[in-house]
Amino acid sequence: MLKAIKKYKAPYLFILPFFLLFLVFQLIPTVWTLYISLTNWKGIGTPDFCGMDNYKKIAVDNMFWESLGNTVIYWISGLILILCCALLIACLLNSRFLANNTARAFFKTATFLPNVCAAIAMGLIFRMLFDENVGLINEIIALVGISKIPWLTSTTFSKIPVIILNVWRYTPWFTMILLSGLLNISKDYYEAATVDGANSIQQFWFITLPSLKNILFFCSVTLTVDMWKLFNESYILPGPGTSNSSLFQYMYESGFNVFNMGYASAIGVVLILILIVISLIQFVARRRQGEL
Amino acid sequence: MMRKRVALALALAAVLAAGSLAACGGQESSSSETTTAKAAEQGGKGTEGGDGAPSSDTVYPAGTLTVYAMGNPQYRQQYFETWLENHRDIAPEVKIEFVQTEGTADIREKITMTALSGATEDLPDAAMLDPVTIMDLAKAGLLKDETEYLAPLLDKMVDGATTDATIDGKIYALPDSVRPQVLFYNKEIFDRYEIDPETMSTMDGYIEAGRQLKEKSNGEVYLSYIDPTSKTWRYWGRRGLMPSAGAKIWDENGEVIIGSDEGTKKALGALDTMNSEGLLMKTTIMEPALYDAINNQKVATFCMGAFWDEFMRQNCEAVKGQWRVMSAPEFEGVGKAGAPVSQFMGIIEKGDNPYSELFRMMWYDFTFDIEAKEVWVNSMEEQNAPYSNPVSKEMLEDPFWKEPSEFYGGMSFREMEGKCLENGAENLAVTPQDAEADEIISAELEKYVAGNQSMEEAIANMDKNLKSKIGKAEVVQ
Repeated sequence: MLKAIKKYKAPYLFILPFFLLFLVFQLIPTVWTLYISLTNWKGIGTPDFCGMDNYKKIAVDNMFWESLGNTVIYWISGLILILCCALLIACLLNSRFLANNTARAFFKTATFLPNVCAAIAMGLIFRMLFDENVGLINEIIALVGISKIPWLTSTTFSKIPVIILNVWRYTPWFTMILLSGLLNISKDYYEAATVDGANSIQQFWFITLPSLKNILFFCSVTLTVDMWKLFNESYILPGPGTSNSSLFQYMYESGFNVFNMGYASAIGVVLILILIVISLIQFVARRRQGEL
Repeated sequence: MMRKRVALALALAAVLAAGSLAACGGQESSSSETTTAKAAEQGGKGTEGGDGAPSSDTVYPAGTLTVYAMGNPQYRQQYFETWLENHRDIAPEVKIEFVQTEGTADIREKITMTALSGATEDLPDAAMLDPVTIMDLAKAGLLKDETEYLAPLLDKMVDGATTDATIDGKIYALPDSVRPQVLFYNKEIFDRYEIDPETMSTMDGYIEAGRQLKEKSNGEVYLSYIDPTSKTWRYWGRRGLMPSAGAKIWDENGEVIIGSDEGTKKALGALDTMNSEGLLMKTTIMEPALYDAINNQKVATFCMGAFWDEFMRQNCEAVKGQWRVMSAPEFEGVGKAGAPVSQFMGIIEKGDNPYSELFRMMWYDFTFDIEAKEVWVNSMEEQNAPYSNPVSKEMLEDPFWKEPSEFYGGMSFREMEGKCLENGAENLAVTPQDAEADEIISAELEKYVAGNQSMEEAIANMDKNLKSKIGKAEVVQ
């Protein structure tokens, strides 16, 4: 190790700033979080060491388990809906239907717009849209003759607005990533497939999807992390109790509403462990497929 | 070539490191001359008037006195700015800034984070606080001990003005307001349906009035509201029905008893009766939908803290003159009319706080200067802005505080606010675990409002979750 550092001084010096920042702003806080999770600490004063008490509390805290369940739902629904929508829109943007460059540029910009809007502002608008009494969604539903749905005041429906906002906000970003992948697929493959008599669905299944495998894997990994740290959407669209809270939100509220920093840190540690396990599973699965 | 690359890498690392360090650096202090500040504080203490009124010949250093507050603090700022304008001899270049925050949790978060970072010069000079925050900040040594300063003033203030800021015999904040729980009702609605508002002096009578309203209006008029969010626990529960019914979350030793407590069953049972019988409009409080309902005479009463007055005046112009106030309903066998809510101003302990004494002078004036307070209150009335009854007994005796209010059809809201304090219930015991307990209790109550469980199940779950997550509370007061 030392030999390598001596031999490649310049490259190591170039990457040194990153590692310094990583050490100060990520590694040390993570170790600090681990320590705080073993204490009772209200954010001020001296932390009192309490061993595994916070983790024992987590085991019997139904609000934690409900938030964890919600996060799993947001993750799975996000992975499926966002990737499907993003792939569909990316294919449309890349298709020959948009032969005109101006039209393509317009639709690309329009598609990306939700991603540049402030999450909180969008959350507030969605809150108005999904309001039980005066929301536009319920007004439309009422026009069709269906009774109004308590979107945000019922434990049954409260996750749906969060999922919709989530999909609406994240799809554009992943559309752009997938579109860049589509643009890199050689046209020759499609021409050859056309000559061989393959139809559009066959071309998509046997050329497009396999060519996008690595990009889709990258998207699923980043999307997994994004979904597990989902906060804005559920925070701005609160439902009854923790019926639609995400784990990240519950961690924040335990820390900054209740000021139970030790407990919030323990939730943070659990969250880190979950993410490590999921990432490992994804990488192992890819390795077994011979992709990595 | 190699040396050049190394030099370039070193330079880049140095620039980034310097940037990071610069970003971590604190801001310039709001007041620069700490030496003068020390002198000012010592001078202030030394020249305290015999009646407790501080006076000072010291000239306070240039800078900004920062106060974290909630609600609509810009209106309070108007009073303090006027005071500063009138005292330019001692504070020629002092400005005051009331920083709007979301609430006490936000204030606490900001103060805690700043204190943790070590940037004490960035801490505010004072902050608006509630009892739980006072307890935590005092424990951490972040609040000045006001016992000595307030001792000669206690007799001049309404009973219990400093109770919730007293920890182990020491007072850690200056009382700002003590506001009762009152019953707001729309007299015109009650007249129309020939229901005597006096029946609402008891909780049973209050519920019965709701039934009559529902029946006589064919379900058009609701007795009150129920909020699907945490505000149901805050306003109906912790500050409302629970203290009125003599309910308890913890016993004297801090053990959880909410599940077996008769007061809790009485309090939340009353809420359950009103809700299950369809007497409460399900809507978020302080939102346009509710104000529309009030303006359309669809909601007849609010059993709320006196603070609700400012929201009504600001948003319910259409029903101006129709509303009245009376004491909150009493539960049979308890005979108490709702607990008062206290708010405090804490002076932050941040080493050389140059404005501690100056802030006390301003607080003293705001609390005891009859003439100046009346001018300010009149201005608040004109702006439909918030103000609360004073904590000074002498000021309350002034006829000004008995003047009729236009919004209440000539009834004096200020006088009623004072009267409603007379039979106030005792507040729920304050514990450092309250914020966490509120989160647990509110979550179950929200599920009840959403229709996912009965009130009995909600109470049982509150008890179970409080026991498993908190176990035992530290009952301080």
